[in-house]
Amino acid sequence: MAGKIIANLIVMGSAILGKAFIQAYRQALANASKSGVAQETIQNTIRRGSKVMTEQEARQILGVTEETSWEEIMKKYDTLFERNSKNGSFYIQSKVHRAKECLEAVHQGKGEGTPT
Amino acid sequence: MTRREAALILGVRESAVIDKIKEAHRRVMVANHPDAGGSHYLASKINEAKELMMGKTKVGASIF
Repeated sequence: MAGKIIANLIVMGSAILGKAFIQAYRQALANASKSGVAQETIQNTIRRGSKVMTEQEARQILGVTEETSWEEIMKKYDTLFERNSKNGSFYIQSKVHRAKECLEAVHQGKGEGTPT
Repeated sequence: MTRREAALILGVRESAVIDKIKEAHRRVMVANHPDAGGSHYLASKINEAKELMMGKTKVGASIF
């Protein structure tokens, strides 16, 4: 009889403890999102993931100014891309490509004809 | 610029010897020289990368 009661107590106690733990965990999660630690982490990840080149840097890389026409930019890009694929470095080649992509977006945003 | 980026720019390993770095620098510089259609920005980056790679290597190889 006594054994049954003790077993009952243990089972009930552990159930209550488990519930309490789950509650605490939920509360901790809510606190974390409120305090901003989690949000900061998320923002950092996003920033790192979409590390985009500025227009200024793109222009510097291709060696063009604001006034340079799209045809000239493309000519520059083709030269640099070709040369770097032959005997330059892959890293610079990819930088050149990114710069061109960036300027292409800017160019299309302005709507000055269709870049090829 | 980190040493890793410098190595990527020159297209060599981070542990490359001075001769390799010099050769790679010349090769990349020829491809991106401002006089031949390259840009000043890239040229300065390449020089910076070479300086960084050489500088670190020299410190390690110093007899003093």
